Amino acid sequence: MTTIEIAGIKRRKFKDTMFKYIVYGLTFTCLAVVLIILFYIFQKGIPCLNWSLFSQMPKPVGESGGGVLNAMVGSLMVVSIAALIAIPLGIAVGIFLAEKRGKPAADRVSIAVDVLQGVPSIVVGMVVYVWVVKPLGIFSALSGSIALAIMMLPPVIKNTEETLVLIPNTLKEAALALGASDLKSTMKILLPTGIGGIFSGCMLGIARVAGEVAPLLFTAFGNPYLSFNILKPVNSLPMVIFNYGSSPYEDWHRIAWGGSVILVGFVIILNVIVKFFESRWKVQF
Amino acid sequence: MEGTILRTENLCASFGTNQILKNINIDIPEKKVTAFMGPSGCGKTTFLRCINRMHELNPEATVQGKIRLHYEDVYQMDAMTLRRKVGMVFQRPNPFPTMSIYENVIAGFTLNGLKLKKAEKDAIVEDALRKVALWDEVKDKLNNRATSLSGGQQQRLCLARTVAMKPEVILLDEPTSALDPLSTAKIEDLLYELKGNYTLVIVTHNMQQAARISDMTAFFYLGELLEFDDTKKVFTNPKNEKTQNYITGRFG
Amino acid sequence: MEHLKSELDFLRGELNQMLDLVHKQLQKAEEVLLENNTELVKEIASTEKLVNAKELQIDSRCETILALFTPVAVDLRFVLSALKMNANLERIADIADGISRMVVHTKVRFDKVLLEKIEAKKAFDTAIEMFNCVAQAYQKEDTLIAREVFTKDKIVDAITNNGVSVAEEFAKMSPENLSQAIPLLSIMKMLERTGDHLKNIAEEIIFYAEAKVLKHGGKANE
Repeated sequence: MTTIEIAGIKRRKFKDTMFKYIVYGLTFTCLAVVLIILFYIFQKGIPCLNWSLFSQMPKPVGESGGGVLNAMVGSLMVVSIAALIAIPLGIAVGIFLAEKRGKPAADRVSIAVDVLQGVPSIVVGMVVYVWVVKPLGIFSALSGSIALAIMMLPPVIKNTEETLVLIPNTLKEAALALGASDLKSTMKILLPTGIGGIFSGCMLGIARVAGEVAPLLFTAFGNPYLSFNILKPVNSLPMVIFNYGSSPYEDWHRIAWGGSVILVGFVIILNVIVKFFESRWKVQF
Repeated sequence: MEGTILRTENLCASFGTNQILKNINIDIPEKKVTAFMGPSGCGKTTFLRCINRMHELNPEATVQGKIRLHYEDVYQMDAMTLRRKVGMVFQRPNPFPTMSIYENVIAGFTLNGLKLKKAEKDAIVEDALRKVALWDEVKDKLNNRATSLSGGQQQRLCLARTVAMKPEVILLDEPTSALDPLSTAKIEDLLYELKGNYTLVIVTHNMQQAARISDMTAFFYLGELLEFDDTKKVFTNPKNEKTQNYITGRFG
Repeated sequence: MEHLKSELDFLRGELNQMLDLVHKQLQKAEEVLLENNTELVKEIASTEKLVNAKELQIDSRCETILALFTPVAVDLRFVLSALKMNANLERIADIADGISRMVVHTKVRFDKVLLEKIEAKKAFDTAIEMFNCVAQAYQKEDTLIAREVFTKDKIVDAITNNGVSVAEEFAKMSPENLSQAIPLLSIMKMLERTGDHLKNIAEEIIFYAEAKVLKHGGKANE
């Protein structure tokens, strides 16, 4: 009897150990892929980084040097305007979904958001092209922003909803029991309590769209010159990487690598900020 | 009845098709402690939540019959106004986690958009915290997060938050079920002291607690109010056999 | 627990009042017997009603405390001993009333010499001393004072035991003396009972204060 039991335990222990190592191994594989990509980008890109990359405009073929100043400015403009549009809208929808969870209306909105998340970015770009670019008759930063805002909505909405749903209902009831209105208890109690999660949702949304190129092809289009006008076409980093990286010129390749490092650096910084504020604003109930 | 503050007339409450309360008629006396006890699912918490209309937050909830606060039908009143008159303390301490201790006490005013001068706020906060015997423990750290307090302190803070609004009635939904015995004793002492100024209605699973702190005890069973009498009477000579079986632990 | 504390304090006060009432009854009964002060008999009878009312009050308060507060440890012992002390005190008050009525019913006045010989005054005074001890012990929760009661009870017992032969001798002197000797002997018996009740009370005080059971040799607790 005893021996049988011991044998069983040995087998189970072996399985246990096996499972543990498989999990470790797969995790490591994942991590390795990320590290290799980062290493490759930095290896190629860091030598290309120099001051002129940040301060100069692109130069025509044949002239050495040149930078991505216009693309950085363009990206910043397009992404910030997109954030300005998407964050309030996304939070509002997130609140709606959290409040009305389980009701038919909320279910439908929730499915719509899921579908939106799955819509290919190129399609979003085309739709915005038809909606905005065509009527206005010109490619513009604004239309790029609208396209990116649509891309940003799903993560912002989902994060807001998830965060608010996790806040205990009793907190809102406590506010209501004090005679507060629904609006006040949401704005003054729920949102501040969930600010960490909502904020990280916004940042991840921004990180997600910062590297998008497809929707911008139809909208912001690209511009070899520096432009601050939101109603005019602007350049953007992903587009520079796309255009220059696929060009036959060595010089342009260098600029594309530099742009990649800037973009990746931007995303990494965003993630670090998210982690920092998440722990900072962590609210215990 | 003389000195009645809350009266219900044939109150029925349901969730969807599930009727929770059946024809409750009760007169709750003013400035006394009234305890609701009964086995789980007997409707006592639902009844409590009907009084300040928290029950209706559930979309499936329906209510028939009347609840009168000083002869005024609460279902004709504005819910927000009602809830300022009828405060509530919950089962688990739920201070607002983003707010400081000070802000939590004054939260009832800020959430209702009532603007107060700093001195007035200070006075309200100190008064409320003194009433719940928390002042001495927190007076040097009023700007700390409320969640930094212990569970018992948090619950007293929640009581202070309610008391600060100067309600006429305070509803307590098993306020000590998440607390250790010492914190429980402190809360019970507080309720004993508060009853001169407020009408307290407490739901409790703990029979001894009902016995210790209440003047009147109501026994709920399967959505019906089986007995409502002086606590002493209920615990020494209950009229209803079911009450007797419940308080002697012979239920089943 | 403030609430329980205040309830217990209230009970303590009521029991104190009871002690006071019964104490006075006993003193008055002594005066009735020794001074033949029949004025006091009515007073004793009316106070007896008060004592009975108080007994019911204390009983009901104990019931409330037990039912509503489920006291434990020293609080529980106090309530339990209060219940028993209450019953004993009521019995003592009954005895005081009985003695005074016995005096009135006895048509003749008790002979001074007989009273002296049977040591009625000493027995009565000792019983009242015991009462004082009990009252003091209760108020101060002092078990040393409570223990004095036990030695004093022996004195009362000795006097009352001796009383039988004294009464016998007195009765032998003249047949009419019987009408005095018999009531007096039963009064002495009542005093002995009073001593026993007081001893019980002292034991209750010790039980409450020290959690020691002294009754019947206290074997049950060991």
